[in-house]
Amino acid sequence: MTPEEIIAAVTSGLPPAVRCEADHHGVMLAVPAEHWLAALMFARERLDCDFFDWLTGVDEAGEGLSVVAHVYSLAGRHHVLARTLLSRSAPRLASATGIYRGAAWHERETHEMFGVEFDGHPHPAPLLLPGGFEGHPLRKDFVLAARAAKEWPGAKEPGERDVPRARRRLPPPGVPEGWQPS
Amino acid sequence: MTGTTPAGGPPARSRGVIALLEENCTVCMLCARECPDWCIYIESHKEPVPGHEYGGGPDPAHAPAGRGRQRVRNVLDRFAIDFSLCMYCGICVEACPYDALFWSPEFSYAETDITALTHEQGRLREWMWTVPPPPPHDEGSPPPLSQLPPVS
Repeated sequence: MTPEEIIAAVTSGLPPAVRCEADHHGVMLAVPAEHWLAALMFARERLDCDFFDWLTGVDEAGEGLSVVAHVYSLAGRHHVLARTLLSRSAPRLASATGIYRGAAWHERETHEMFGVEFDGHPHPAPLLLPGGFEGHPLRKDFVLAARAAKEWPGAKEPGERDVPRARRRLPPPGVPEGWQPS
Repeated sequence: MTGTTPAGGPPARSRGVIALLEENCTVCMLCARECPDWCIYIESHKEPVPGHEYGGGPDPAHAPAGRGRQRVRNVLDRFAIDFSLCMYCGICVEACPYDALFWSPEFSYAETDITALTHEQGRLREWMWTVPPPPPHDEGSPPPLSQLPPVS
């Protein structure tokens, strides 16, 4: 399917709240959260996107958190990128595992890294982080504590043996001003 | 790369280990600053350059004409890469303006002690002997600058 055919199919087959535009590889769907599963089911059944590539989160800072999924048609060789914007305070989304089973791992990872709750996920356990880990490391407000604990090796000037005190006080990237390990 | 090595060895531009040609390093610190993992440790000091000593006079800031101020150069004391932190992105190799860092395809340097994955200067220099010559340019790529006709 060409991007134009996909856009025509989406416009006639999905609610008008689902916006659709061509991007450089295929088609990008901007989906309201309540139509998330309908859009993915539509991509699988009507757009022939049988290959689930990946699903992840994006921290959009002030706007909220996005969940993005990329699916592909092996026969038609076309791509569909679906994204939905969730509220930052309580990000919730229906699990896509009923449509693409392979989404299970990706949703577990997105859950621990961004704190998105996936309703209906069969096994929402942490995937990569150790038990008892606090926080969501891929959110932009996550403090990179290791950066504060370790001295930046690049702080020295060429030929300099030691970093002067004044320069040492600059907080490293990912650590807020004045932050102290508790 | 943990099983058998493919026949004919690893493919071109394989990222096995990073080698240091310390003769080319000017201690500019660019690699250590660009490294997103903070895994390059450099120590250095300044040394006066022989033959460029300060020429005399009571005040070094106002040296006699023809003999500028004392010239110094940076001398590398320590260069180490912690391969337990390194994510093999190759930014340091790209960032080095003096061709002191190279990719080597060697990959068998697993350790049981994590601290042994910090390769110091001597070991990084040894990896240089395993750096392959650069592969030929791809077909259709622009010719190297040295082969371009001179600008008239």
